[in-house]
Amino acid sequence: MDEFPSPDEHLSRLMARAQQGDSNAYVNLLRAITPRIRQLVRARRGFLGESDVEDVVQEVLLSAHAVRATYDPTRPLMPWLSAIVRHRLADAGRQHVRQGAHEIGVDDLDVTFQAPPANSHEETFGDPDALAQAIQALPPGQRQAVELLKLRELSLKEASALTGMSIGALKVATHRAITSLRRALRASDDE
Amino acid sequence: MKTDELIDRLGRDVTVAQPLPAPGIRTAMWTVWAVSLLLVAAVMMFAVMSSAAVTLTPLYLVQQSVALVTGIMAARAALASVIPGSNKRVWVLPAIGAAVWGVSLLWAGVLDLQASGTLGVTSQSDWPCVVSMAVGGLVVGSPLIWMLQRGAPLTPGLTAFLAALAALSFANIEACLTRPHAFALTVFLWHGGMVTAVAAICALTGHRWLRWPDLTTR
Repeated sequence: MDEFPSPDEHLSRLMARAQQGDSNAYVNLLRAITPRIRQLVRARRGFLGESDVEDVVQEVLLSAHAVRATYDPTRPLMPWLSAIVRHRLADAGRQHVRQGAHEIGVDDLDVTFQAPPANSHEETFGDPDALAQAIQALPPGQRQAVELLKLRELSLKEASALTGMSIGALKVATHRAITSLRRALRASDDE
Repeated sequence: MKTDELIDRLGRDVTVAQPLPAPGIRTAMWTVWAVSLLLVAAVMMFAVMSSAAVTLTPLYLVQQSVALVTGIMAARAALASVIPGSNKRVWVLPAIGAAVWGVSLLWAGVLDLQASGTLGVTSQSDWPCVVSMAVGGLVVGSPLIWMLQRGAPLTPGLTAFLAALAALSFANIEACLTRPHAFALTVFLWHGGMVTAVAAICALTGHRWLRWPDLTTR
């Protein structure tokens, strides 16, 4: 074994250890490759803003993590990683085009509907205390989903990463929470 | 979430992930499975009907051999396509195999025309082979799909196309063994049509069953 391996050999060794479940080696590897991924993304998508670049970087890290078993430790790491970056960028581009095809850009419009509630100058949210109480009364899973997705406005992926719940489970929990909240607030209005 | 937080979380969650065997080895494993099924089909065929029912002409043997090689090459290409950074040249080999298979069938059709004075297109339909290939392809291809789903779905459409070509190449041999055909053009149109149609459907739907794994379930 070389005493001073080249940077790529060093990465390959870290990945080989990570495949054996070595957490420290894995964190070191991810910290080492993240700037390289960022550089690759910027080089191929120079028009992206910083937050978009970071989104793609995280997507690549998650993808590489999910398919780390496909890496052959006897081969260099960077071609393996670059292929993932290339394909994830292409996926992101396709997704962007698909979304763009279903979205219509709308300017900020000053005009509102004629109905009085639409022309209120104050934003009213009903009874905030009742809402807070209703949220507290939710089962823990539903409450967590509402807090993360609706109050902190995290994305489904971020909330999933934080809680360990699957995206599907988060969607179900949110849907049930909203139904329960609607029912609870309607009941408090009736009282 | 910030990237550093994600890295810390991934580091905490990391578990042992044994590297997948090389695509060549995985291809060999799948080929053993597919050939075993072919042998079972051949033994059953010879147990049920006379071996004289199949005429083993050199051209027939070439067709089956090329179909076999095409199936193996397609499986090899499919399994390589789910490994990031793998050599893309292996994608070409199954296309060459399929082309040779088609040409050998067309040549056999010309020989049929010379011998019988007809191509036999309208004399024999081949629905039993379509059913046989569908069932055989599913049985042969299911383990391949499972193996592909353990890789990275970089090119799901192409991977699915190659997997279908691999499975149906073997299913085609099984169908040719169990149901002899009087005319080569029947095989070209019905078997070739079946392979083309299913491979095209798989290419269009590949992204539905070859997806990036849901990280939260791992």
